[in-house]
Amino acid sequence: MSRPPNEIPTIWTTGFTDVFNTGTWRAATPVYAWRPSPCLVDCPIDNAIPRWIKYISEGDYQQAWLELVETNPFPAVTGRVCHHPCEGHCNREVLEAVVGINGLEHFLGDHALDHGWALPEAAEPVGKRVAVVGGGPAGLSCAYHLRRLGYQVTIFEARERLGGLLRHGIPEYRLAAQVADREIQRVVDLGVEVRTSTSVGDSQAFAQLREEYDAVFVAVGAQQAKRLPHLDAGAGAGRVLDGLDYLRRCIEGATRGLGERMTVIGGGSAAVDVARTARRLGHRVSMVALETRAVMPAQREEVEEALEEGVALFDGAMVTRVEATAGGLRLDCVKVQLDPTAPAGELRPLPVDGGGFVLEADVIVTAIGQDPNLTAFGGDIRVDAGVAAAAPDTAATTAAGVFAGGDAAGTSRFVSVAIGDGRRAAYGIAAYLGHPDAEVVVRHTLEQAVNRNEVNVFYFDFAERNEKAKAPVAERLTGFAEVNRVFTPEQAAAEAARCLTCGTCIECDNCFVFCPDMAVKKDDSKSDSPEGRYVILDQYCKGCGLCVAECPRGAVHLEQVTQ
Amino acid sequence: MEPFHAEPNYIIEEAPVFSSGHNACPGCGEALAVRYVLNSMGPKTVAVIPPSCIAIISGPQPYSSMRIPVYQTTLEASAASAAGIRRALVRQGKDDVNVLVIAGDGGTYDIGFQALSGAAERNEDMVYVCLDNEGYMNTGAQKSSSTPYLAYTTSTPGGKPNDKKDIAEIMAAHRVPYVATATVGYPEDLARKVAKAKEMRGLRFIVVLTPCLDGWGVPDDGAVRVSRLAVQTGFFPLYEVEEGERYAINVGPTPGWPVERYLETQRRYRHLTADQVAAIQAHVDHKWSLLHARAKVECVPMFQGAEI
Repeated sequence: MSRPPNEIPTIWTTGFTDVFNTGTWRAATPVYAWRPSPCLVDCPIDNAIPRWIKYISEGDYQQAWLELVETNPFPAVTGRVCHHPCEGHCNREVLEAVVGINGLEHFLGDHALDHGWALPEAAEPVGKRVAVVGGGPAGLSCAYHLRRLGYQVTIFEARERLGGLLRHGIPEYRLAAQVADREIQRVVDLGVEVRTSTSVGDSQAFAQLREEYDAVFVAVGAQQAKRLPHLDAGAGAGRVLDGLDYLRRCIEGATRGLGERMTVIGGGSAAVDVARTARRLGHRVSMVALETRAVMPAQREEVEEALEEGVALFDGAMVTRVEATAGGLRLDCVKVQLDPTAPAGELRPLPVDGGGFVLEADVIVTAIGQDPNLTAFGGDIRVDAGVAAAAPDTAATTAAGVFAGGDAAGTSRFVSVAIGDGRRAAYGIAAYLGHPDAEVVVRHTLEQAVNRNEVNVFYFDFAERNEKAKAPVAERLTGFAEVNRVFTPEQAAAEAARCLTCGTCIECDNCFVFCPDMAVKKDDSKSDSPEGRYVILDQYCKGCGLCVAECPRGAVHLEQVTQ
Repeated sequence: MEPFHAEPNYIIEEAPVFSSGHNACPGCGEALAVRYVLNSMGPKTVAVIPPSCIAIISGPQPYSSMRIPVYQTTLEASAASAAGIRRALVRQGKDDVNVLVIAGDGGTYDIGFQALSGAAERNEDMVYVCLDNEGYMNTGAQKSSSTPYLAYTTSTPGGKPNDKKDIAEIMAAHRVPYVATATVGYPEDLARKVAKAKEMRGLRFIVVLTPCLDGWGVPDDGAVRVSRLAVQTGFFPLYEVEEGERYAINVGPTPGWPVERYLETQRRYRHLTADQVAAIQAHVDHKWSLLHARAKVECVPMFQGAEI
């Protein structure tokens, strides 16, 4: 269209283009959303790990601890003994090494004990009662969460003291009893009724509990050691012990007369605990494990520590026959390979030709696993393969109002799994009892988590991982003092600063800075939310995805426009 | 001279000069550069823009994405136009107005070079920013004298046989008060250099590497990454020169990062043989040794982040 010849525009340029809707060019839209980090997904207790690490790096230890105990009331315990699966898929590995989450938890747990911090208070009573059978990590965790939901809780513990495996199964050099005791006391202080030396020993007692209480959580652990009958046959009486038996004797001081040479059979944490305890009591210890060192269920660090302490490890091997000799026991052993075609979870050793060897010992200790004793409950709830059948999200069993968790309802044998089970059971019980705010715990998957292609590590400097200091080997063998030392505040600060905070916006401004269209706006009213304070201006965003590519932590992602 | 680093903690201060709703492609590296150049210069600025993508981004008439007076001049005359505007401002007694040229590499290295060299020789008072996307990308990706050695353009289908002109060194050789290189992957560094240039007088020249997604063959979300790789692999050093001789290297290459990591992110280098990649690497290494010699310092690399 041509202009009339004499008309001169009064304004040459308007000085703006923001009347245009360049947003209509868009095929995909950036969306700010909190996403789970791999550590959270891998944590059996669903702990929001990046949140509390961020508070540590800001120096706010108490807030960090409060975030941590939101799901796990025992950080000083798990900071020592957790198998820390949270470090398994940590995205920091792209740079140099995974974040030392376990060390940070240890630091925070001890800091809280040193300062006498109390757990968040119990909620207003909701007028219902729950019985928890078993005062180990699963039961105590369940009691903690139930108190926070306002339920009255009674724990029935067969032994004289609470703690279960924490007190009776883990040696002092890994977890000092006073640490476990203090964390347990904090839970009891929330108003939990405790009946120790009270066993729920038969189906009648169990039926009575179901009558008296609105719900029952069964967390009796796994107390019955598995045996290897072919060893008993060839050895003299009292020459083959099981691990729990041995550790109990140690606590009672009744280990004299067992002889100097000990062979421990097993490849899990319990076997390593026996072997290292025996080293501290002056035994010469050999250890025979079916699995090779790389795949032994015991944690890598504990196996290393055992070797440092002089345990002789025969991995990928088994004992085929035992014979009593004049000088003690003769153990015929053979190297084995595990049948790769065996179903998951089953070990099927295949002897290697020419792999035979002989060990000599005075005593054999087997630590090849334990089974729960569910005779009191088996009439009411279904038992599959020796453990109580429980729903993974609610811990509900086949009997109405009965829930089960920990070692009694699983085979993984990890303290943190038991604590997680207790938590899920508490919310399952609350849902069953019609609690107005309680929702069943939803577990995230690794597919939903921020993966290493979604973090942008350019924005982080290289920083070496901090490791817990260890007591020198010679010192360790003289007693039962803890081996691992807690981080210094400097180490904790440095380690916390290594966290990428995957999936949680920390308002670094990258999305704002790198938008060529100035289509990212800061909305201060949204500050401190897990999605951050940014808003995409629909009118201008062309959907290029630069904000997503430059987000260091995967807190914003693109979604296709479907209309 | 002390080693000198970019300041990752420099706080960008943006004045709202550049407007949303402009016509740049989604993810355009040049639009990002325009944002930090204009918003760092502030509203008391007159801009001169020759034909280029920048002219497209600043339009379309009668609209303008730039909330300042903009003079769209001819391709060969940016520096001369800016010099004229400055003299007119002086004549009017307006000494608080910045005169800014934003030109492409065609309008700087090639067609506008005579006017620029003359203005530099006279030390005319202006900030001259060259947004360098290494070719005539606006007209369909023909080669310019900024196109790097062996890069594909539509007019060098087998790869450009000649090397890229070193415009920063050419301008430094004019002994103007300030010459700097910058790129959009380091926005704090870019904004700081523009703000620094703004406070100086005489001819201040900044060349900004701005990836062209279409011309280089880079995905929509890749401009910043490619820009950063250009620096991290040493292909495009970030440095400043005052008075033609005081050198400061801002960001050095990340040790052990071959230039191949930069080249492989772009379609325009897809045809390269291993020997050609090695030739480019040797060339980059040689240029760094020259730069070190001029700067009289060993550069301490600052950003060491990995890339996946």
